[in-house]
Amino acid sequence: MAKVKVYSTPTCPWCIKAKDWFTENKIKFENFDVSEDEKARNEMVEKSGQMGVPVIIIDDTVIVGFDIDQIKEKLGM
Amino acid sequence: MYDIAIIGSGVSGLGAALYSGRFELKTVVIGDKPGGTIILTNDIANYPGFNNITGFELSEKLKKHVKDYNVDFKDGKVTKVEKQKNGFVLTAGKEVIKTKSVIFATGTEWRKLNVPGEKEFSGRGVHYCALCDGAFYKEKVVAVVGGSDSAAKEALLLTEYAKKVYIIYRGDKIRPEPINEQRVEDSKKIEVINNTNIIEIKGDKTVKSVTFDKAYKGSKEFNVDGIFVDIGHIPLSGLAKDLGVKLNDKGEIIIDRECNTIMKGVFAAGDVCNTRFKQAITGVAEGVTAAYSAYHYLKEI
Repeated sequence: MAKVKVYSTPTCPWCIKAKDWFTENKIKFENFDVSEDEKARNEMVEKSGQMGVPVIIIDDTVIVGFDIDQIKEKLGM
Repeated sequence: MYDIAIIGSGVSGLGAALYSGRFELKTVVIGDKPGGTIILTNDIANYPGFNNITGFELSEKLKKHVKDYNVDFKDGKVTKVEKQKNGFVLTAGKEVIKTKSVIFATGTEWRKLNVPGEKEFSGRGVHYCALCDGAFYKEKVVAVVGGSDSAAKEALLLTEYAKKVYIIYRGDKIRPEPINEQRVEDSKKIEVINNTNIIEIKGDKTVKSVTFDKAYKGSKEFNVDGIFVDIGHIPLSGLAKDLGVKLNDKGEIIIDRECNTIMKGVFAAGDVCNTRFKQAITGVAEGVTAAYSAYHYLKEI
């Protein structure tokens, strides 16, 4: 099963939508609140080269924004 | 074969879906932005019946309401709509959807500044959503570009994080709704710079400054940590155009009072249309009207 990480802030609507979408589709993910967790924020900026949220990492693929098509393709849906 | 395929899952699409479901038409809603752009609006106080609600909640409530009826939802971006003998075929990733009628509720995307540095610093100081990325600017200096009600609301939201918020506007005077204009005036953190355009965005890892087209306090260089662009929207009407639907010179889908386009079996609703007033309530109403027109069209064919 693919390893899914979501870097988000609590207020960001697309972050909530993304997390809800993973939950609805029964896909496990690990969430990092980058507004509080500085280590995670640095990691996100390093991996995605930017600080807009959400950033979704599926295995080694970095997806900036809640891009359903890219997510589905990466998960083979 | 569906009776109605609604492209776009924002509030206009959901309004259409609710009525289409109630008419017991076989309905599918397909979109890659569930909830639509309204979810980025933190504070809605002009949707009748709700004194105060977030865009996120409003779209969730609408979706929940739609789910009382038999409506299919699919995720993904529709990349092609083709006319065939007995209707239309939509392609979205692996999905191929056949339908007798189509409602375009595809909405808009943010208009870009189109200046050097904007793309390079996108997400690294250049942002389009205060609610999403504002939290990164605690005690920083930010600028909102734009003079609309939406720009004023972005600036007001950013005062919760930033120590100083500038509004940079190309015109003489910003033009929010009176209630938000007053809030901007009352805010000690907000300062409006009128008659000024940003012509370049500069920085290293993140944005450090912008260049104005005219001097402000003696200098065209202006230090800022983050820029939030809110200069309007561009209609997402490419699919409709390729299908042969008529657009106006702004690229908006031309509809009549009953949300008909020039093409039989094709209807449109919401921000993508050539209606002047683009509000959640008007978009929802157009969605409802489009569904009603489609219902009549389906009875006739």
